[in-house]
Amino acid sequence: MIPQDPQERDAVAGEYVLGVLDDEQATEIRNALATDRELRAAVTFWENKLHPLSALATPANPPAEIWDAVEARISPPARTPRPSVAPWRWTTGAFAAIAAALLLYVAVTPREPLQSAAPMVAVLQSSQTQSAGWVAVLGPGGLRLSKLTRQAPPQAHAYELWGIAPHTTRPVPLGVIPASGEMRLAELPQGVGAGATLAISIEPPGGSPTGHPTGPVVYTGVLRAT
Amino acid sequence: MEQPASLSSPDVLVEAVARGSERALKRLYALESPRLYGIALRIVRRPEVAAEVLQETFVQIWQNAGSFAPERGAAAAWLTGIVRFRALDALRRHSRETLSGDSALGDLAVEPDVLAKLDADADAAALRRCLEQLEENQRRSVVLAFVEGFSHADIAKRLSAPLGTVKSWVRRGLIALKGCLSP
Repeated sequence: MIPQDPQERDAVAGEYVLGVLDDEQATEIRNALATDRELRAAVTFWENKLHPLSALATPANPPAEIWDAVEARISPPARTPRPSVAPWRWTTGAFAAIAAALLLYVAVTPREPLQSAAPMVAVLQSSQTQSAGWVAVLGPGGLRLSKLTRQAPPQAHAYELWGIAPHTTRPVPLGVIPASGEMRLAELPQGVGAGATLAISIEPPGGSPTGHPTGPVVYTGVLRAT
Repeated sequence: MEQPASLSSPDVLVEAVARGSERALKRLYALESPRLYGIALRIVRRPEVAAEVLQETFVQIWQNAGSFAPERGAAAAWLTGIVRFRALDALRRHSRETLSGDSALGDLAVEPDVLAKLDADADAAALRRCLEQLEENQRRSVVLAFVEGFSHADIAKRLSAPLGTVKSWVRRGLIALKGCLSP
């Protein structure tokens, strides 16, 4: 419940900006921001008023390779000149996204014991527009799912990730995708590997109550070796 | 080529990023990455995690710049918000393993003259004046949450206070700040 009392609303917006709300409350606020103008104004107030406090953190030079990784994730690999960017830039940027996701994986994943398995990638496409919405990379450290689309689940809903092993039809729940659009799974269930389908459905905030997708499947893609 | 001074402002650069300019993003990175990396490092503590946070932050800036509206205030504050949320997300994923090991963690917020380190501009001066009017534990709680990314539980541990008391310090501190900072 987003408080209607102005003082309560201001306080909860401040707690949201500070980052002290629990996940459930924070998700509720984040979802309400799109439609609640007063709440948005309250959050903006705190972001701006508390911002000077960030000067208490000492600036530091980040590692040089970070920019390269950012650039790889936002640009097509050929670096050819593009027309001015439209909202569908990620459709054509899907391959860049794959390359970038791999690069990211190699560059910043904390080093874990290496297994011999080669990385696999799935690009999950929108069931409606066929545009690339998500990219999943399965490597030695597990599965990493990253959001490419700006699309968010409908209000008071969440996206849930499913895996469907090859030659089977039963989706196995892999978890509710955080609102940040980033998810990591240390390991996948048996059978969810090469050739498996990954799918994203729209579910209640805590995920499907039944263990099966209850809402529409909005993105799908197949895990393939690179 | 001569660059007008305004081209080095985050506000102008974010607007250009929203139009799809990679060059503007690169300039914004050059301008803001040390500050944002410092904020991330302060919260997550581990350089490799802070590096990941920074990368995610700039990808998100690229994707979301179009949704930034100038009535949201300064672009720099918007950027700070993004990196802080990214850092807090990372903290949840990685767990704050340093919290128990690093005895100096959070010392800054309890230094008596910490607010003297704020910038001298008008916004910072107003915030400082209002923070100084808070009860000491309310002020420490707000600073620990914002600067160190502390949860209620982290603050309770750091200030050796019950969780419920800390929650009320934060909330009452915010309500008092709101009254003081509002025009």
